[in-house]
Amino acid sequence: MLWYKGWLETRSRFLTCLIVLTAFCGVFVHYAQGFVRPEWSRDFYRLLSIAQEYVVIIWIMSVVLLGMGGLVREMATGTSSLTLSLPVSRAHLLSVRVAVGVLEAITLGVVPWATIFLVSSAGGMPVQFQQVGFYVLLLVGGGLVYFAMAVLVSSLVEGEYTAPAVAFGLVFLAAILFDVWLRSFNLWRLVTGDFYIDRNTYLLPRHFPWKGTAASLVVAASMLIASIRILKEREF
Amino acid sequence: MFFKLNPTTGQPLYLQLMQQIRHAAETGALQDGEQLPGIRTLAEELVVSPNTIAKAYSELEHDGILELRHGSGAFLTVRRRTRSLIDHVQVARRRLRDLIERLREEGLLDEEIRRAFEAELLYPAEIVGKR
Amino acid sequence: MTNTPVILTRDLTKSYASLKAVQGLNLSVEPNCITAFLGQNGAGKSTTIKMLLGMIRPSSGDGTVLGKRITDAGENREMRRKVAYVAENKPLYGYMSVEQTVRFASSFYPDWRTDVANRLLSQYKLPHRRKVKSLSKGMRTKLALLLAFARRPDLLILDEPSEGLDPVGIEHLLQTLVAQSAEGVSIFFSSHQIAEVERIADHVCILDNGRLLVNASLDRLRQSYRRIDLVFPFPPPEREFRIVGVEKIRINGNEMSVFASMNSEAVVERARNLKVVSVEVAPVGLRDIFLETVKEN
Repeated sequence: MLWYKGWLETRSRFLTCLIVLTAFCGVFVHYAQGFVRPEWSRDFYRLLSIAQEYVVIIWIMSVVLLGMGGLVREMATGTSSLTLSLPVSRAHLLSVRVAVGVLEAITLGVVPWATIFLVSSAGGMPVQFQQVGFYVLLLVGGGLVYFAMAVLVSSLVEGEYTAPAVAFGLVFLAAILFDVWLRSFNLWRLVTGDFYIDRNTYLLPRHFPWKGTAASLVVAASMLIASIRILKEREF
Repeated sequence: MFFKLNPTTGQPLYLQLMQQIRHAAETGALQDGEQLPGIRTLAEELVVSPNTIAKAYSELEHDGILELRHGSGAFLTVRRRTRSLIDHVQVARRRLRDLIERLREEGLLDEEIRRAFEAELLYPAEIVGKR
Repeated sequence: MTNTPVILTRDLTKSYASLKAVQGLNLSVEPNCITAFLGQNGAGKSTTIKMLLGMIRPSSGDGTVLGKRITDAGENREMRRKVAYVAENKPLYGYMSVEQTVRFASSFYPDWRTDVANRLLSQYKLPHRRKVKSLSKGMRTKLALLLAFARRPDLLILDEPSEGLDPVGIEHLLQTLVAQSAEGVSIFFSSHQIAEVERIADHVCILDNGRLLVNASLDRLRQSYRRIDLVFPFPPPEREFRIVGVEKIRINGNEMSVFASMNSEAVVERARNLKVVSVEVAPVGLRDIFLETVKEN
């Protein structure tokens, strides 16, 4: 019943973020439609790309929040003795926690964009489905590395409040670094689609950037593997 | 049947229980052939380790006082010790009563008498024999 | 039925930068017994238990629990399926309700007994739907213990189980331990409540500063340890009494008090040979055995 435990632990965070994201998207699109009527397609899609930027910010904050927890945090709250006495391996414990988090992260990416799609369709200006899919895949494929970073931080940093502080700090640090130094590897611009967007139509191109997303996922996977090894060595 | 085990007297609990069962048998509180409580039941009632009860029962079976029937429990043996042992104990108690009366007359307090008895009883048989 | 120890350690050691929490521990815990683990705070009891359960890695030495190596993650995990453990702080997940907690725990252990769990839930009067974080300390202690008692493990390890319980609760706890032992569960528990230990333990281990000082059956301790109070007509010759088994001698004028872990008859005989005026031999309770042993160390 580790999945159930993982769900109970993240339920409030997840649902709060989901409601915030969904509400934001619904309201944003509704007003965007009103703003660009009757059908100034280019401006509408430009507004959508702005929406994605906000969605990305909130999504990244949400998944970092979801990545918190785990055995090291349980040490601070006093329940690690219970969890570690269960007849399951530490790798298994972490894997279930990660799986729950990933599923929640995907949901947090799909539901808001589904909302955008539905609200825009209801308003008579349906967003191209391909665009929606593109944005979602970019968000999740490119952005899961933030979740993995949060998991890694939660395996290293003790303290209920220190771990989130460090994780969020790293997010900001990364944002600055990408802006200043690693321009061509700017994760932010990948996830928001900024790299690929056509400035004329503000549409994302036909070809999905598999290489960039794959690279990001590989980094995410390495961080998760590192987390497992760190947890295995740790003493409780 | 009321047993009372004292963990601080320096005597193993199983020995105390054995004595108390013997005493119950001698005074008739336990009848021939009567069943004693099961090991678990008695352990829970007295709040002592079941190993204590098991050891006491096992030793008493070895001494011929109890019969342990597999699956049924512990029973006081029917072909039991003869009346002579009951008399034996009763005679001993009469002698003790006289001695205690005399010690009281000599001015010893009950507490002093008890302590002296306990101290002497703690010597194993060899030392007593040497004197 | 085999007689392999349920817990066996060989020179188990745990050192941290500044101190040695456990030093060369050779522990041997027999099956089907109730074994008590005594020691002051910081003596190394919890560290030892955590090493047994794979939460801490030994600095050196090794051990087995139920025949499985404690340092092998896979074997340790397999062993944990048959071991019930309640840590000193009685850990529970605050966000789960009583019912959810019970269901959660039961899903991991094939030896879970639902009928016993239900009986204990009503006996302890635990409200099914209440979240753990809203329970009183006493109720939380009982729930944490219930998670172990509703099982039939091969080994039950408890760290200070009676802490947080009122006298009625402690009595229930002891009765439950005795009942579990009667069903074949080996019990290994640490406690500061020496009176309780004295009632139910078959075997006692005393740990101090990471070292095992005493490892004996409680009956043998009861039969061997004696305090011998002697009065001489002159200041007593202490060196005459430094024989095997004598742990401590205290002298006050013509009075001498000897604390012996064994061989008390030899002490008495020597005293009589030296024209002693008064001899009083008294048994020593477990508390005094513990205090004297630890002080000597």
